[in-house]
Amino acid sequence: MDNKLSQKDLISKSVDNENEISSRRDFFKRTAALSVTALAGTSLMASEDDKAITHHVPWGQVWGDPVTKNLYGMPSAYEHNNTRRNTKLLASGNYRASIAVTPIHESEGIITPNGLFFSRSHGGVAHVDPSQFRLMIHGLVEKEIVLTLDQLKRYPRVTRTHFIECPANGGQEWRGPQFNSLQFAKGFMSSASWTGVYIKTILEDLGIKPEAQWMLAEGSDNSEMGRTIPIDKVLDDAMIVWGQNGEALRPEQGYPVRLLLPGWEGNLCVKWLKRLEFAAEPWYCKEETSKYTALKPGGKAVQHFYANEVNSTVVSPSPEKPWTDLEDGTVIEIEGLAWSGMGTITGVDLSFDGGRNYKKASLKGLVLPKSWTRWSYMHTYRKGEQLLLTSRAMDDAGYIQPTIDQEVAVMGVESVYHRNAVETWEVTKTGEVNHVQMRTPGGIKKNV
Amino acid sequence: MFKLNNKLIISASVAAFAALFAVGCNGTDATPNSASSVSTADIAGGVIYPISNGMTGPYAVNSEALSMKLNHGRVPTAGELKAWDKDVMPDGTGLPEGEGSVEDGEALYEAKCVSCHGDFGSGGGGYPSLSKGNAYELQETLVNNRMNDPEADGPVRVFGSYWPKVSTMWWYIKDGMPHPKSKTLTDDEVYALTAYMLNINEIEIEGEDVSDDEFVLTRELMLKVKMPNENGFEPNIDGPNALNDVRAYYANPTNFGAIKVKPEERCMTNCQEESIVITRIQNGGISDFNPPMATAKDLPKTESALDVKQVYADNCAMCHESGVAPAAGDKEGWTSLVAKGMDKVYANGINGTDTGMPPKGGSSISDAEFKLVVDFVINGK
Repeated sequence: MDNKLSQKDLISKSVDNENEISSRRDFFKRTAALSVTALAGTSLMASEDDKAITHHVPWGQVWGDPVTKNLYGMPSAYEHNNTRRNTKLLASGNYRASIAVTPIHESEGIITPNGLFFSRSHGGVAHVDPSQFRLMIHGLVEKEIVLTLDQLKRYPRVTRTHFIECPANGGQEWRGPQFNSLQFAKGFMSSASWTGVYIKTILEDLGIKPEAQWMLAEGSDNSEMGRTIPIDKVLDDAMIVWGQNGEALRPEQGYPVRLLLPGWEGNLCVKWLKRLEFAAEPWYCKEETSKYTALKPGGKAVQHFYANEVNSTVVSPSPEKPWTDLEDGTVIEIEGLAWSGMGTITGVDLSFDGGRNYKKASLKGLVLPKSWTRWSYMHTYRKGEQLLLTSRAMDDAGYIQPTIDQEVAVMGVESVYHRNAVETWEVTKTGEVNHVQMRTPGGIKKNV
Repeated sequence: MFKLNNKLIISASVAAFAALFAVGCNGTDATPNSASSVSTADIAGGVIYPISNGMTGPYAVNSEALSMKLNHGRVPTAGELKAWDKDVMPDGTGLPEGEGSVEDGEALYEAKCVSCHGDFGSGGGGYPSLSKGNAYELQETLVNNRMNDPEADGPVRVFGSYWPKVSTMWWYIKDGMPHPKSKTLTDDEVYALTAYMLNINEIEIEGEDVSDDEFVLTRELMLKVKMPNENGFEPNIDGPNALNDVRAYYANPTNFGAIKVKPEERCMTNCQEESIVITRIQNGGISDFNPPMATAKDLPKTESALDVKQVYADNCAMCHESGVAPAAGDKEGWTSLVAKGMDKVYANGINGTDTGMPPKGGSSISDAEFKLVVDFVINGK
């Protein structure tokens, strides 16, 4: 049936474009020639029939589920290992002020499925009744308002694809690698297509007083999570969002409404949002003083550290998805993610020797501002060769990822947050993948 | 477009910008958005994608939607504003009158806080320490950085040694504490707990003896508190020039460990110093992942509907395994409680107690399921 269709397809196309047909013929010829060559090699020779092909499969001979089952769809049961994970190091005793991280090693494209989006809260995941949701906007505005969810959704919508990253992503590894895992080394982030309204659209109605410099965003959860946001961001691309990948926000993402500050620290994107207040002075909320401040070697700490800087990682291979099954000579795609909260990814370089020498990788797919961006490099695998895969991204704000030594020289190793130095996977001679770091042991010289 | 970028650091169109500030704004100098520094960077050093010709970056926009008066919602009542506008600022804005003594604070702490924050705020159970001793001495540890000596003592970042403002503590206790039952403390109780926090951190208030149990913290005295690490942060965020200070700070990548380079000038070959070597995970690293790491595409093992051990580990163990409450299978510890009758034990567990037991331990299982967990906790199996 497929053959018939494709022949018909070819015939109809031949009317339009004879050249294309001839190029296709060439392609078929070349493929046939290659197949003969390939079959001569041992790797593609089969000694016996594959029963997955020669035997009927169980699901092919019985009725499948009725459409009445799973009215809200679930992943295949075979995908049960593709899940968020947590660890005691990153948890309060009862897993409330805690984090569960995203399986980046299983991620595809630049969108995280809603059920796998990393979950971080400061007082547990709140379950808000949307009929009792209210958003209050007040303080140094000409008109204060309170909105129900329906009223909020009457504002004109915008939809944007942005990652959200906890600034502690990688923050456990300032003094050395700790996690032999991509999920835990880089999984404090996820990405979604968000739908909501620009705050500047609402402020068109309200009018903002000239002395307003700061906006407090406050959640309705049991920690009343609050953060102070500079008016610059509010009037640039800050959004109040209720949609996540085409449906309502998940409770873990602040259902029914959260703040979204594209590219900025995840904790600034306050969830279960209830209140925005404008003022001339900042608030000094708990999560912008006691935490989310980066202590430098001189004893001063960076406060109001907003944007997640340019960053990248190799996704395939990873410690979770090694190359132990690759044959010598296999041509394999090395794939990764790059992202920047400062702008748009402009390029990614890949090193095979831990950052001594770099080669240019290719960007792939949509290249969007303040978004995950996929990159790719085609590699011929040599069995028995040790590799030190190190990726390095750049953005259109002009930043490039620092080396570990460069970043530590300025920030020390006590700052917890905003670690974006290049990271390295060691591919061993047998194809296993280990998380390592390339750095000067026993401290580093200043002015690297 | 360049002109727009130079003039405005926001991406709103000129029309939208003008409309935004049309009311109550008689000069651009007064607006925080008329940056004196010429820059296409946003306040955090990133790129601004202005809305221009119906586009912002790669996204098309309906510019009309951004410039129309829409007037949704309604004005909040005075009562509604009063109910929600409860934030407390360093200058005392929002801080109500009240008072509380160190002695009362300690009693409250022992009853409602110690199970998570430990004796005298020493920490425990994964929740933060609130004191490690004299705040002024510990503030000096903030220069300790293990970049050169991994075995050295690191910096101590607790309330007394690190937090810049005492108002943060008052506000957070009032709004977020105690964690399992927040927003249940009176203003006087919050003053008492704040007094106790100042006491155990040995914070000094001019002319007052905070080390005395009889010390009573009031609104007036709280406004006199100067935290040891008040000046320990950058950039400046206070005063009318704050936003310019922040912009200037992030315009300089060396302030925050970032590196700028022209793409064509980046190093591609021989980029590394000889001193750089492979650093490996020490002592096996951290791998107690839940669930354990696995990538197999297979069917999950069928599990019983309720995993009482998991419920216990996730919700109960923090207190019941730390000596705050009897542990699972601690026959001796449970004897006196069980003697009151299992109905009483179940009821206390399901409804919670004033002495720190959260309802169902904070879990969301059914009453019947919770009783199975209680059985497990008492019998240890």
